[in-house]
Amino acid sequence: MIEPRKDLLQIADLSREEVEHLLGAAQPFKELFKRSVKKVPTLQGKTVLSLFYEPSTRTSSSFEVAAKRLSADVTNLAVATSSVVKGESVLDTVDTLQAMRADYIIIRHKQAGIPNLVARHTGAAVINAGDGFHAHPTQALLDASTLHDVFGGSDFSGKRILIVGDILHSRVARSTSCILAKLGADVGVLGPGTLVPEHRPEGMRKFSDFEQAFDWKPEVIYLLRVQFERQGEQFFPSAGEYHSVYGLTDERLDRVRDQGVWVMHPGPVNRGVELADSVMSYERCLINQQVENGIAARMAVLYWLKPQLESTA
Amino acid sequence: MSDMTLFKNASIASAGAKELAVSDVLIKGGRIKAVAPGLVVEEGVRVVEAGGKVLLPGLFDLHVHLREPGQTSKEDIASGSEAAINGGVTGIVAMPNTIPAIDSGGLVRSVMDIAKRNSRIPVYTTGCITKERAGEEMTPIAGMKSAGAVMLTDDGSPVCNPQLLRRAMEYAREFDLPLASHCETMELSGQGAMNEGRVSYQMGIPGIPAISEEICIARDIQIAEYTGAHLHIQHVTTARGMEIIRRAKGDGVNVTCEVAPHHLIFNEEHVIDYDTHYKMNPPLRTKEDNERLVAGLIEGVFDVIATDHAPHTDFEKRQQDFASAPFGITGLETALPSLFHYFIKPGVFGWDLLVERYASEPRRILKLDEVAVAEGSSADLVLFDPDGTTTFSRKFMCSKSCNTPFLDRELGGRVNMVMSHGEVLLERD
Repeated sequence: MIEPRKDLLQIADLSREEVEHLLGAAQPFKELFKRSVKKVPTLQGKTVLSLFYEPSTRTSSSFEVAAKRLSADVTNLAVATSSVVKGESVLDTVDTLQAMRADYIIIRHKQAGIPNLVARHTGAAVINAGDGFHAHPTQALLDASTLHDVFGGSDFSGKRILIVGDILHSRVARSTSCILAKLGADVGVLGPGTLVPEHRPEGMRKFSDFEQAFDWKPEVIYLLRVQFERQGEQFFPSAGEYHSVYGLTDERLDRVRDQGVWVMHPGPVNRGVELADSVMSYERCLINQQVENGIAARMAVLYWLKPQLESTA
Repeated sequence: MSDMTLFKNASIASAGAKELAVSDVLIKGGRIKAVAPGLVVEEGVRVVEAGGKVLLPGLFDLHVHLREPGQTSKEDIASGSEAAINGGVTGIVAMPNTIPAIDSGGLVRSVMDIAKRNSRIPVYTTGCITKERAGEEMTPIAGMKSAGAVMLTDDGSPVCNPQLLRRAMEYAREFDLPLASHCETMELSGQGAMNEGRVSYQMGIPGIPAISEEICIARDIQIAEYTGAHLHIQHVTTARGMEIIRRAKGDGVNVTCEVAPHHLIFNEEHVIDYDTHYKMNPPLRTKEDNERLVAGLIEGVFDVIATDHAPHTDFEKRQQDFASAPFGITGLETALPSLFHYFIKPGVFGWDLLVERYASEPRRILKLDEVAVAEGSSADLVLFDPDGTTTFSRKFMCSKSCNTPFLDRELGGRVNMVMSHGEVLLERD
C-alpha cells in the first residue's frame, strides 16, 4: 500500500514506488476516456481551485478536465499573470482560499519555490503546475505515462532518451529527466552551449551535435520548446541557426524514421524551429498522446493526494 | 559601588598566544590595571570567579547594517548595538545603504549623534563612495571624513564605472580613508539569487556565478595598485577570489579583506527547500570553498572576520518566495558562539585567531586604539563559558530581526559577561 502525500511539488520527492503507483493509477483513467461517459464520482463534493500566475491554456484546461472527470467542483481564479506577484501576495490569496475551504490548490508561478511556500501554509493539497525553471511534475508524469504505453511497462532500464533544447531554463527538462532516471532510463541532452548547464544531475550525458547524439542510438527524442522572450538576453544568434543546428529537420527526421525513434514535445511547438512541419505527421510522433495522457496523469495525482484539512464529518 | 572588578583565574585569550593563559585580571577606572596570577583581593573589589572561562577582548565588527535611518522596522542603532553586546561585540561599523543613503557630512553626523544617544558601545559609520550609491557622482568625501566617517563604501553594490572608482580612490587616498568594495559584476549576476551550480540548477533558481565576484575583485585590486589607495574587499566567498587577494598582497598592493562566518560554515547544499535564511549576497558557495576559506583564514589571507549583519523582518524573509526575499542574514549575536562551536571547540583554529581577526585587526584597520586583555588597555572584555550553550530563540535575540539559520538552534558556548570601558553591559549565567 502506497501512503498518499499531501502535496505534489517536485518529482525528486517521490520514490520509484510512488511514481509507479501513479503511472498504474493513470491506466484505468485512459480506458475510461474510450467510453461515452468519461466521468467517475471519486471527488464529488471536493473543491479544486487553480491559481495560474503565468499564462497557460493547455495545462490549466488539462487540470480542469481532469478534476471535472473526477466530479470535483473546479474554479479557476483569475489572478494577475505578471511576474511582480510575489510570495506574500500569493499567500494572501491562499488565505482566502483557506476560507473558501479549498481541498486542492493547483498553482503555477514564474518564481521557483512558490508552490513549496504555499504548501507550508495550507492544509489543502497543493499541486505544482509549473514554477519558474524549477519543476513541472505532472508534465513528467504524463511523459512517463506516454512512454509507459510505448515501452509496455514502467521499467525503462536500458532505454535512451535524448532531450534537445533549452535545458537550462526548462522545468520540463528538470522534471522529466528526473522521472526518467528514477525509472531506469539513460538521459542525454543536446543544445546550445549557452543553454546546457555545466552542473548537470549525475549520469546525464551531454552531446555536442545530432551526429554524436544519433550514434548513441536514442529510442526517444524529446524536443523542448524554445522561449524567445528571455529578458532580452541572447542565448543563440537566431531561430534559423537554432533550427539548422538543433532542430529536428526533414533530413534528420529521415534518419530517425529509419531507426524507429519516437518523438515527443511538451507543446506548444514552434514549427520550423524545434522541428520541421513534417515531424507533426510522423507516425511515431507522440505529441497528441502526451496531451491525452496529461488528463489521465492529473486525474491519478488528484485521486492520490490527501488534503490535511480539519473537518467535522 | 566600587569601580574595581577582579576576574579570578580567567583563561585569557590574546592575539599572540596559541594557548590560553590562566591569570587574574584587575579592572579599575575603566582600564585594565593588572594581569597576573594570584592578585590579592582588596576590600571593595568585586570578584568574578572566572575559572574555566575564557576572557577575551571585546570583539569589533567592521561590517554591520543598522538600517537607521529609513528601515527601522528591520533594525535601528539602539537594537543593533544591543544585538552586538549580546554577542560579545563592543564596537561596530555601520554600512551606509540606509534610506536615505549616508552620503553627506550631515547624514554622517546625524548617525553619529543617534549612536551617541542610543548605543552603549562605540558605533562608527561608513559613508558612500557615490551619491545615493547610484554609481554616478562622487560624494563629499572630506566633509564625511570630518563628520566622523571611518571608511567609504557603496556596500550592497559595486561601483560599476572603473573610472569613477579610480577617481574616488585617488581622492580618498589623500584623506587616508580605506575604500571597501562589495565585489560583483552586475551583468554576470543578473537575476541570480544563489550560487550558480548544481543546486541552483536543481532548484530552478537563477545563479550568481563565482566569476561575478572574482572579476570585480581582480579589477578593484588593479585600480588600487594603480592608485595606491587602501582597498578593503568585503565578504569574500570564493577560493579563487581569495587567491587573487593573496597574490596582490604578495605583490605589495595595499589591500585588506574580510570573511563572514556564514561563508565559512554554510554552503549551497544548505539551501534546501527554498529556505530564505540561506539567501545572502554574495551567496553561499561550495563545500570546497568553505574548506579553502577556513584554510586561508588560518594562513592569514583574511585580515578580519566581519558578519555583514543584515537584518530583515520576518515578513520579508519568511512570507516570501526565495527569489523575491531580500538578501542577507543577521550575524552579530551568533558570530562568536558559531565560530567557537564550529572551529575553536573542534580545534580547527584557536582563540588567538579569533582575537586577532575579530578584535585586534579590524580596530587596527581603522587606526583605533588597540584593545586587549593586557595592562593599560581599555577594559573592553567578554567573559565566555566554553562549557555553556546558547539557544538562539526569538526571546534571546536583541536584534529586531531573527533572520538567521541559527534561529531556535543551540550552539556550544555562552557569553556570560560583556564590559565596555569598565562598565558591565551584560551579565548572565
